[in-house]
Amino acid sequence: MMTLVLNRLIISVPVLFGVLLLGFGLLILVPGDPAIVMAGPMATPEVVAAIRTEMGLDEPVLTQFFRYLGRMAEGDLGRSLISNKTVISELGAAIGPTTELMVACLIWSIPLGIALGTLAAVWRGSITDRAIMAFSVAGVSLPIFFICLMLIHFVGVQWRLLPFIGRGGPLWTMDGLRHIALPALSLGLIFIGPVARMTRSSVLEVLRLDHVRTARAKGLSEPRVILRHGLRNALIPVVTLVGLQAGYLLGGAVVTESIFSYPGIGRLAVGAILSSDFPLAQGAILILALAFILINLIVDVLYALLDPRVQTP
Amino acid sequence: MSIAEPADLDAPAPSLPWWRRLVHDPAAFVALIVLTIVVLCAILAPLISPHDPYASSRAVMQPPVWSDRGAWLHPLGTDGQGRDILSRIFYGTRLTLLIGLVSVGLGGVLGSLLGLLAAFRPRLDPWVMRLVDVMLSFPAILLGLALVAVFGPGAIPVMIALAIATVPDCARIARSIAVSVMKQEYIEAGRAVGLSDLALFTRYLLRNCISSILIFISLRFGQIILIGAALSFLGLGAKPPQAELGMMAAQGRDFLLFAPHIAVIPSVMIFVIVLAANVLGDALRDVLDPRLRS
Repeated sequence: MMTLVLNRLIISVPVLFGVLLLGFGLLILVPGDPAIVMAGPMATPEVVAAIRTEMGLDEPVLTQFFRYLGRMAEGDLGRSLISNKTVISELGAAIGPTTELMVACLIWSIPLGIALGTLAAVWRGSITDRAIMAFSVAGVSLPIFFICLMLIHFVGVQWRLLPFIGRGGPLWTMDGLRHIALPALSLGLIFIGPVARMTRSSVLEVLRLDHVRTARAKGLSEPRVILRHGLRNALIPVVTLVGLQAGYLLGGAVVTESIFSYPGIGRLAVGAILSSDFPLAQGAILILALAFILINLIVDVLYALLDPRVQTP
Repeated sequence: MSIAEPADLDAPAPSLPWWRRLVHDPAAFVALIVLTIVVLCAILAPLISPHDPYASSRAVMQPPVWSDRGAWLHPLGTDGQGRDILSRIFYGTRLTLLIGLVSVGLGGVLGSLLGLLAAFRPRLDPWVMRLVDVMLSFPAILLGLALVAVFGPGAIPVMIALAIATVPDCARIARSIAVSVMKQEYIEAGRAVGLSDLALFTRYLLRNCISSILIFISLRFGQIILIGAALSFLGLGAKPPQAELGMMAAQGRDFLLFAPHIAVIPSVMIFVIVLAANVLGDALRDVLDPRLRS
């Protein structure tokens, strides 16, 4: 188990390096003088010159890259051009809400997706199966912003059931729950489809294996066969799916947070890009990429826990 | 779906030619017709649009013809600036499809070449796969955000990002198909009769992999369209006054209360395109290449 985690960590190193290179590339590639961009449109020439020396822009690119890595290691991501707060503190304030949104989305959509997928597999070919599969194809085809807008329009504005702007507080407070309900519902709706589809085909696959036939032959009840012998083995591909779709989920979070003015990393990134707040945009993109790597790492470890056959990747 | 699903057992027996089986599937048939109409509308946009898609009129936020205050002059109504929505839908579909096709095309070609090369030249394989692993760790939307951060909003950065995001998945699929093709006897036979590497690659390997790769790409097309539209919705993709479906939906957001049709119509259009592409892609896969499932 430890070797697996270690192995995965070692594989993450080149990826992490790639992410840092991307962040550095963002700085180098930006058209025009990075010092002017970092200093913002209102800066005086003296400030620009100071930033240039501070960033070491007159030095060779490789030296600049190592300097950049050093600053990253210290957690120095610069300051936001708009709020003048450090990028780290801005990101720190946004990580919590985004994590809450992810939890609030996954906690209902994964179990429901698994349940729907299992039902579809058990009653394969029935009306229920067709309805569930049609629903899941429709789910993966709906633009997430449309789901968000419709929820705002009906639940938020016309029926006045739930708030649809901002965050009410931590997840464990009533107000926090009420505010997170609509964003979590929107994000979850696009996630149920893939989970249900994957569960269905995976359960179908497992149900024809020998051990399931044996369990049936032993005279176990059908729900027991499906839950104990079928679903448990079928869940492994579903776990991988969550990892593979983490990017999809993060993308959905970017859109959802922006529409609901929910103060997470996604909204921060979009806002920073639209207002050319360069340091903040870079930081937000780096954090999102790190989150993606971390989710996949966790998924790989979970995968090994669920499937003892996997020892080393 | 970026992952291959386990095989479904009750696939129809392959007795009819593939296109007959495709047309016999009612859902796939409808999807095919819908997509044909959509593509025709996009191509013929300048000819069939009743109005100039960029010209404002005094009829602001006019509802579509089926509501009480609608009129045939603007069958789908007008937007917040009085522009004809039907015409903008035609032009918007054009740009949305173009973004999707260019990204999927570019990324697909590059990814397939990488994957095929990896299978053809086993020495290259570990390097290509490492590269693919690193590329896979950048989700499409993040690449989009990064490129837009550098080059500013626009359809082209979005296309580049989505193309890059298509490369790794496509390379993996192309490689796995090509590896099994490379084991076939006709490759050995081709080598034995002294075919050049280039001939072996294009005539035997490429030709035997291309249909599976195309099916995979068609399955990705819907997702790419959705991400492109989402980026445009956020103001990071197509720029006004261009018409793009995601951006049109975003422009309707402020009028949701009084004129919901401005946001709803383009969103429904995206849904229809993506749904048709997904249904057709699934059906094509089942009919042509069940290998992709297992």
